[in-house]
Amino acid sequence: MSSVIWYLYEFARKSWAEKFTVAKTEQEIMETPSRWRNFPEVRKEYCIACGACTAACPAPMAIKLVRSSDTSEEEGITYPVINTRGCIRCGFCAEVCPTDPKTLLCGENHLIREEFTILPVDKMFVMDDYLCIRCKKCLNSCKVGAVSEVDGKMVIDQSKCIACGECIKNCPVKGAIKGVFISHVEEQKEIINLVVNTLENRINAEQDKIKDLEPEEVYKFDFPIDELVEQAREIIPKEELIRDTFEKITDRLKMRVITWDDEKCKSCKLCVDECPVGAITYDEDKGIQRDQDKCLKCSTCYQTCPFGVAGFYVARFLLSEAKLDEGVIHVTVKPSQLPV
Amino acid sequence: MLDALKDVIRKSSIHVCLINTGGCNGCDIEVVALLSPRYDLEQYGIYVHNNPREADVILVAGAVTEQWREKLQRIYAKVPEPKIVVAIGNCPLSGDVFNQEGSSVYAPVSDFIPVDAEVSGCPPRPSEILAAILSVGPNAIAARGRQKL
Amino acid sequence: MILPIGPIHPSLKEPLRLKLKTQGEKVLSAEIDYGYVHRGIERIMKGKTWQKGIYLSERVCGICSYIHTQTFAETFESIAGETAPLRAQFLRVLTNELDRIQSHLLANSTYFKSLEHETLFMYMLYLREPVMDAIELLTGNRVNMGWNVVGGVRMDAKQTHLDSIMKIMLNLESEYDRYVQMFEKGPLVGLRSHDVGKMTRDEAIKARAVGPIGRASGLEHDLRENHHTYRDHLDLKVIWRKEGDNFARNMNRFDEITQSINLIKQVIENLPEGEVRKKIDIPAGYGDWRNEAPRGEVTYTIETNGNLIKNISIRTPSIMNIDACAKYMFNDVATVSDAVATYASVDPCIACTERVVIVDEFGKSQEFDYPNYPGNMKLKI
Repeated sequence: MSSVIWYLYEFARKSWAEKFTVAKTEQEIMETPSRWRNFPEVRKEYCIACGACTAACPAPMAIKLVRSSDTSEEEGITYPVINTRGCIRCGFCAEVCPTDPKTLLCGENHLIREEFTILPVDKMFVMDDYLCIRCKKCLNSCKVGAVSEVDGKMVIDQSKCIACGECIKNCPVKGAIKGVFISHVEEQKEIINLVVNTLENRINAEQDKIKDLEPEEVYKFDFPIDELVEQAREIIPKEELIRDTFEKITDRLKMRVITWDDEKCKSCKLCVDECPVGAITYDEDKGIQRDQDKCLKCSTCYQTCPFGVAGFYVARFLLSEAKLDEGVIHVTVKPSQLPV
Repeated sequence: MLDALKDVIRKSSIHVCLINTGGCNGCDIEVVALLSPRYDLEQYGIYVHNNPREADVILVAGAVTEQWREKLQRIYAKVPEPKIVVAIGNCPLSGDVFNQEGSSVYAPVSDFIPVDAEVSGCPPRPSEILAAILSVGPNAIAARGRQKL
Repeated sequence: MILPIGPIHPSLKEPLRLKLKTQGEKVLSAEIDYGYVHRGIERIMKGKTWQKGIYLSERVCGICSYIHTQTFAETFESIAGETAPLRAQFLRVLTNELDRIQSHLLANSTYFKSLEHETLFMYMLYLREPVMDAIELLTGNRVNMGWNVVGGVRMDAKQTHLDSIMKIMLNLESEYDRYVQMFEKGPLVGLRSHDVGKMTRDEAIKARAVGPIGRASGLEHDLRENHHTYRDHLDLKVIWRKEGDNFARNMNRFDEITQSINLIKQVIENLPEGEVRKKIDIPAGYGDWRNEAPRGEVTYTIETNGNLIKNISIRTPSIMNIDACAKYMFNDVATVSDAVATYASVDPCIACTERVVIVDEFGKSQEFDYPNYPGNMKLKI
């Protein structure tokens, strides 16, 4: 009997009855640990607009850079904005941000500051030593300190570079810093072969006009490139890559041209033995024959022939500044200065 | 009198149907974790079973794939009124990482059925889903019921 | 008659269609129809760098999401010919075993839910929550962690984290046996699962079953024995049983949890000092790697040219296990409810399973191209 009374006393309390009827969630269940990554927080004043966060983000519509408008007192500032409906909370943007202190805070990811960067880049930036004039404008404009001077030469540290392009914008010499596409190497090789072969065939077709050039004269003509661009687009449909490859070909290519005048030949057969690949052959009925596909354009036959059957010329190119479809390559051919 | 009774019942007993239209299952597992004794969703009167014919609230998780386009509209038509649709996770809102060229995902889900509330995150933590449900939840269906009349 | 258990069903977590051929209440055979979760992940990954590809690979499946990132990173490391630093390897083992514990507890709780035993369903979920806390302390998120990179892991684990994880594991170990006893000796669940859905050893070899399902049928094979970290530094035993019915599969998973707790204790006591990350330059090449996921064997085959992924192929364990279930396990199942329970004991993960290859009549494979892909989304900020 007493145990029944004791049980009734224990259980008939208001707090026990309340636990059954009132539903509640404790506060400590809703707390989060310190490493938990919420959506990244932006501190606008530290941003330098380098674009590393936008290049690193794996989700396609999560982050973009905006610029607030200029007011009468001060200029507008650039800062990143995050769309919470697309962000996957990975913290990669907070990790690659190069400023100190960082612009983006996310969990504990912004405390990661390694010696090297793992930003996924499309282009690798290299220096051309021959053209560089050591003015150091690239060193002053690099935002992460990747450019330095070693033994009198300017060097880019690839493990720190974030491929933002500021150094190319400030360099006064065209071609001293180059951005090389490190992806699609096979396709770039195909495009280069296509362009060089087409230009070579075109110049060989103009042999008659080139043959009669005086030592100081030049021969110029324009070559429209819309067909070439169409064929290049079938190999890879990336406009930036195509334009980049065309520019690099035309900047540095120096093509050697050999012309052959059959009428002056007296069949002395001195060139047949000198040709290193055997491209010149002698036949009883047809005379001296030259095979164009084997020819290396080494100019040995030009230096051997006493009658001037072979001619040696040099061609250089320049790409016009128009849009790619209306672009034109200016070709200049002149006789080489090799003494005979 | 009858309206007051209907309001009381609609606030205290809610049936939920979970539809997984092709996501990675992360958000599904977080909804199942809500039933565990730590977060305890059932103390609020919310009962998670997967029967569309008896549901008041439809939870959509995952990005809509090719096979689910017509089936989602058929299931939505089978659920009796009044009903509310809640989208959980980032996949039904914008397609997340799957919405790039070459994939077979149609985003967002509001192209196919009307959406009333959303919880964003990839995946959202169970405490975030619970906070969203408690701030909106029990009154929403009662309000929708009163609206239709 | 043919009874469809459709894409939406109270006991299925994922959309899949099970067509059972029944005669009265007895099940004669089954056919499985999947394809509802195809998102085209391998197609998206072509032409991207590994930094973006690793976030896609962990969203192939949300339950076993850690092992996909580890296999991805280790494939790239094997193409470059190097391995991660030793401290990073030990930390990877720690997270791997924590992930395995939570996946096995979830699989067993689904089996109990399909048998309508709510008590054990709630108990398994109650045991699982501290393990998710441990994962969140270490990596930053409960699911889809984003912790692995090629060359190591992202963040170091401090001593306070390791002490909390040790406390959680000791807690789990002390109250774990009581719940396993409830399953083993209880008349409602344990004794009901004997001799249901049997698969013998020869049938398991013919169907190429992997993971705990294969090991419960007599195949003594675990891929962790060949992995360089487990082989050289840690102490591992293969757990297997002979019968091959529902009871054996569930008990195998329970035993693997005990072994994982043991491995975690070994790792925390012997963790070496050092750095956790180093920079690796990846040449062009071809490589593949295999790992033991909670459900079986996962294989990645990658071909790169420099930093980019040219071609990738993923093979997940559920493809083999589901076919083994449909062909061999339904032969002596008595009723339709037992059929659903058998399917739940195989622990399927449909989101891993979706791969599509189109082969034309000459036997060569083709590109898969959706002609009317809309995919454009109006951005609202």
